[in-house]
Amino acid sequence: MAKTATVLDDTPVLDESAVRQISAHAGESAAILEIRLKALAVLSETPLPDRVRHLWRFTNSGKLLPGPIRVPIAPAAVDSPAGLAEDATGAVLAASGDSFEILVSPAARAAGVRLWPIAGDARACESLGTLVTDAAGYFEALNLAAFTAGVAVDIPPGVRLAEPLRVLLPAPRGAYLPRILVRVGSGAEVTILEEHSAGSSESRMVSVTEILAGPASHVTHVLFQHWEREVRGHLTMRSRVARDAKVTLVIASMGGELTKMDLGSVLDGPGAQSEIGGVVLGAGRQHMDHHTLHEHRAENTWSNIDFKVALTGRGRSAYTGLIRIEKEARGAEAYQENRNLLLSEGCRADTIPELEILTDDVQCTHGATVAPMDDEQVFYLESRGIPPKEARRLIVQGFLEAALSRLPERLRQEMESQVACSLGEFLDEGKTA
Amino acid sequence: MSNRVVFSCRNVHVSVEGKEIVKGVDLEIRAGEKHALMGPNGSGKSTLAAALMGHPAYEIQGEIFLNGREITELSPDERARRGMFLGFQYPVAVPGVSVANFLRAAISARRGEEIPVRELRQKLAEAFKALDIPKSFMGRYLNDGFSGGEKKRLEILQMMLLEPVFALLDETDSGLDIDALKLVSEGINTVAGERMGLLLVTHYQRILNYVHPDHVHVFMKGRVVRSGGPELAHELEERGYDWLEPEAEAVATGGGA
Repeated sequence: MAKTATVLDDTPVLDESAVRQISAHAGESAAILEIRLKALAVLSETPLPDRVRHLWRFTNSGKLLPGPIRVPIAPAAVDSPAGLAEDATGAVLAASGDSFEILVSPAARAAGVRLWPIAGDARACESLGTLVTDAAGYFEALNLAAFTAGVAVDIPPGVRLAEPLRVLLPAPRGAYLPRILVRVGSGAEVTILEEHSAGSSESRMVSVTEILAGPASHVTHVLFQHWEREVRGHLTMRSRVARDAKVTLVIASMGGELTKMDLGSVLDGPGAQSEIGGVVLGAGRQHMDHHTLHEHRAENTWSNIDFKVALTGRGRSAYTGLIRIEKEARGAEAYQENRNLLLSEGCRADTIPELEILTDDVQCTHGATVAPMDDEQVFYLESRGIPPKEARRLIVQGFLEAALSRLPERLRQEMESQVACSLGEFLDEGKTA
Repeated sequence: MSNRVVFSCRNVHVSVEGKEIVKGVDLEIRAGEKHALMGPNGSGKSTLAAALMGHPAYEIQGEIFLNGREITELSPDERARRGMFLGFQYPVAVPGVSVANFLRAAISARRGEEIPVRELRQKLAEAFKALDIPKSFMGRYLNDGFSGGEKKRLEILQMMLLEPVFALLDETDSGLDIDALKLVSEGINTVAGERMGLLLVTHYQRILNYVHPDHVHVFMKGRVVRSGGPELAHELEERGYDWLEPEAEAVATGGGA
């Protein structure tokens, strides 16, 4: 079948000409183009995953295909530092479709923090695609070959940012392939809020985030997905956690029609730690499919997962959590818990813990529950005068709370009010479903 | 005493999954009165308490009045907002909901308007002090990981803050050591005062050494088989419940006639 160079119908299989145009438009170096072309070659050999594939048993990959990938026509990047207050320490990156807006506060700029289009980053090719490689899967290869909004974030060693860096990714119409590459220097501390919002029935997201956490660094990463209800998207996130570093990922996933996420950390140095707190809400006919990976490759590494899912209406969730402990990872500790709260007759949750442990010297526990709301809890709150609707809201909010409690105070409050806001709508919807 | 009646029920029957547990109970409690409902395990005391509060799992027949108005058809939260309080035998944990948030929601619901933050803080500080509960409990999740005694103290704390017109305390004494029992009893006595009516549901006479009832009702096999003054409680302590068996049988047969 003949494909045009710039617009591809039905299938996102790219050709070389489209990839070259995307790269040229962004003004990339030859090295980055080479990475893209290699990914394209891998993509052409990679079949769309079918349901036999382990991580795809719950979700039809065809529904996530982005369709036509348009070569960008808008300016590749706008760097406008004027938009943040003088005393703010954070930075904002808004990439809508093909255009960026990057706001870095003077304080962050002075500290050497950089948010940069990947195209303009000479060092990007050293790390780009090394963590989420083109071999990771179909959508990962697709993103690496054709990402249209690529941003690199650099936090120099020892820098501690009090305010979060915000990466705002409102979904445009059509295909959207953002890619975020975060490099955190040794001993640095940073909080990154990656926010996926907006969109329409024509929006298709294929997003990849790579975080390289240097030795003894602390990274808090919030992945907040609150698309409009018609959006479909595939999000991949990996962090590589070096010696004595800690990465905390809090994921709040509540929008979209069809959401598939593959999240995880590779604990790559002794003493590395990774923690994941998850909050998933699924109502109406939403389909949520989340996978987590904790891969222990070094000794005395530690990981913990607290993944909470609340469903109502005909909401559907699948959670698979893999803990892999390599032979070298002596003294590793890994914990995983997934709890699912079912608030309607029509909703459904699947939960599958998976363990691959290649050494004896480990501590590992996992647990999963799927249960309706406890009537005795409702009665207890009602017996104190709290109306039934408010009682249910408190209980669900409480159920989700622990996952958010890992965040720094101000961000925790922000996320709690975001979740509380969505919850009102979520619970009302369950009643009419 | 000629105080007004704050709580009464007439011919209350309670069934659980078609099985009748409570078989016709009449009570009348006036402001300032303390009543004890005593009975052996399995007599249906807790069922009666939960049903009077409106627990949805129980089918109830008869009439219940709070402050002179019928509440038989009202939901539990409406009963509570009108001034009824149930102290639970086994308070349930609600993870993720902090004690302070819960109390704010409950007090605001009872008042019908949001309690101002400053006033809330002051009221909580006083109540926590009165019951010797560490302030750190405000930030803890409701009843989550609390010891039995801590839970019971928190129940009484809620009663203090919600200022009910009628409180029903279900086995509040169970699981308390002697110091906690004294503290909890003091709390009950402070709140009870002149305006509130109290019904203390208990198996043992122990708590009645600290909270002195004006009326004692013996509850067996789903019925009140005898009512009397405080002396009845002492008699139960000495003789147990067995001697009232024939009476219970008689009431059962009489009730059917």
